[in-house]
Amino acid sequence: MANSILPVQTDRLILRTFERGDIEGVSAYHALPTVQRYVFSRTRDRSEVAAALNIMRGHVSLQRPGDTLTLAMVRLGDQQIIGHVSLHWSDATAGQGEIRFVINPSYSGQGYANEAISALLDLAFDHYRIHRIFTRCDGRNHHSIKLLQQMGMRLEAHYREHALFQGEWDEELHFAVLDREWQRSAKVKDLPPRHRVA
Amino acid sequence: MALYPDYPVLTERLRLRPFTRGDVEAVYAYRRREDVAVYLFDVALSREECALAVQQRIGQVALEANDDKIILAVDEQATGQLIGEVSLIWRSVEARQCELGWIFNPDHHGKGFATEAARALLDLAFGPGDMHRAMARCDARNLASSRLMERLGMRREAHFREHSIVKGEWDEEFIYAILRREWQGRADGGAGR
Repeated sequence: MANSILPVQTDRLILRTFERGDIEGVSAYHALPTVQRYVFSRTRDRSEVAAALNIMRGHVSLQRPGDTLTLAMVRLGDQQIIGHVSLHWSDATAGQGEIRFVINPSYSGQGYANEAISALLDLAFDHYRIHRIFTRCDGRNHHSIKLLQQMGMRLEAHYREHALFQGEWDEELHFAVLDREWQRSAKVKDLPPRHRVA
Repeated sequence: MALYPDYPVLTERLRLRPFTRGDVEAVYAYRRREDVAVYLFDVALSREECALAVQQRIGQVALEANDDKIILAVDEQATGQLIGEVSLIWRSVEARQCELGWIFNPDHHGKGFATEAARALLDLAFGPGDMHRAMARCDARNLASSRLMERLGMRREAHFREHSIVKGEWDEEFIYAILRREWQGRADGGAGR
């Protein structure tokens, strides 16, 4: 599908696909221990970040199930990359998609993640016609849990010790929202004030 | 650690044992029924499909690697009749995770046989199987199954809505689970046996 819908602009962000020159911006947050604690792929040093960026640069559209779209969160004012969001098309028959997100902790607590994920959900439901979006998060990741609850996503699963992750028992939460629920809840009603969003 | 149980596994009223060729009719008696198939991934089976399934199950008696299955026939000791089947699937060797399953002939529902068989299965999983966590899933409309899991002390860990399409309809699914230490801490758990 052509990328006429990209880049996406929100109040304070541009969401665009990654470019080769983004290595500095991504390095600033991706290798941080507080980020590494919760991500699936290790990117602890510059070469691992470069490899991750390489992969993310290939995530430019959803053309078939299994594809991923990854977008850098770029601040409108200073063009700073403050994180990224991704949408993975996991199942075509049942219209399922999974989102992931990473934000530089220096910029968290200002509603940027909420803004970016909202735009990504709009894209998923309105443009890609996904039926249900889910996202997984670590049971210890209270910032993400609070954020997803505030966005109106429903806690659908809470697995305890269901797998090993980074050498420890994993506790994993799944949040989900259906297309009809998102159109009703997020756009019309009372999202909390931006300054209160994790 | 692989699992090669000693068969048969005996409970108070039941005998869990590997399938044999002679089980096709007894399996067909319940797997042909729509009221049995409604909550399964499979549709109702023909006699030929049952024969094939039984044939496959004859060899499913041990766990050696990821996704290996043990599927056992459940006989009522008093009558010698096959009344259902139970399964134990090794989902992760590394994280010692397994999945339980059961299908019983509705003619024998309501007597606690499924509960009794599932307890034996949990004893097997957490005892000689050395599992860390056992999970099971059911259709959200399948009250008999979700109540059974709650009786066993399993915790509802997931309630997925419209997460997939099964037989042409949106699926709603429960996942229940119990940890080894939780099972072994129960009065009906494996500790005393």
